[in-house]
Amino acid sequence: MATSMSLTVRTARDELERINAAVDSLAEQDDWPPDLVFRVRLVLEEWNLNVMDYGHDDDTHEIDIAMTCDDDAVTIEIIDGGKPFDPLHDAPAPDITSAVGERRVGGLGVHFMRELMDEVRYKRESGKNHLKLVTRKAR
Amino acid sequence: MEISTERDGGTVVATPAGRLDGSNAREFQDALDAVVQDTERALILDFEQVSYISSAGLRVLLVTAKALQGNGAELALCSLDDPIREVFGISGFDSIIPIHASRADALASVKG
Repeated sequence: MATSMSLTVRTARDELERINAAVDSLAEQDDWPPDLVFRVRLVLEEWNLNVMDYGHDDDTHEIDIAMTCDDDAVTIEIIDGGKPFDPLHDAPAPDITSAVGERRVGGLGVHFMRELMDEVRYKRESGKNHLKLVTRKAR
Repeated sequence: MEISTERDGGTVVATPAGRLDGSNAREFQDALDAVVQDTERALILDFEQVSYISSAGLRVLLVTAKALQGNGAELALCSLDDPIREVFGISGFDSIIPIHASRADALASVKG
């Protein structure tokens, strides 16, 4: 049986709490293992904070988030009307090799998404960013 | 996010608890800045009670590692659970901060 959850948040960082609560609630209903909760929470935080910080000029805009679980996978869809940003082409390459003194953190969020999700799809449609992420429940 | 600290000579062991994410990164940074001021030789962060970390939390660790290096002190981590260990691997943070299985191992490494 498919279980799903959707919510709309403002482009304000304190909405992270509501996003996390939605993940926890779905995880409980669908009995997710801890590592699945961790990676869904992580990709949602990284993407949404990026959208809030860089995609919009203030905190009055909306982001639509939908999560659907079937027996094998969780599908996440996120839509926002901010600046175009294609994570597969526009993200800076992460620095994962420099020494401590030169190390920078930029680009890690998208890197996590690409490493931890089984599918990452992006399209710009009707003036909005549409991101679709799929992760298998068992890895 | 809470953090408790213990001192063992010039080494400080700090134990944060909870989730280290974009909602409390500033609080975590402020807490660690105070600990860094107090650290002569090494800071061990015991992650036994940390259940989650995002890039916002990693950024705090990087700032802390840079500050300690500037003071001639070391940073080490211990007791990471599997998803957190994976994040350290994917981000390459395991190449800049030594990670130990247990607090005892971490203490032994900074004393060696």
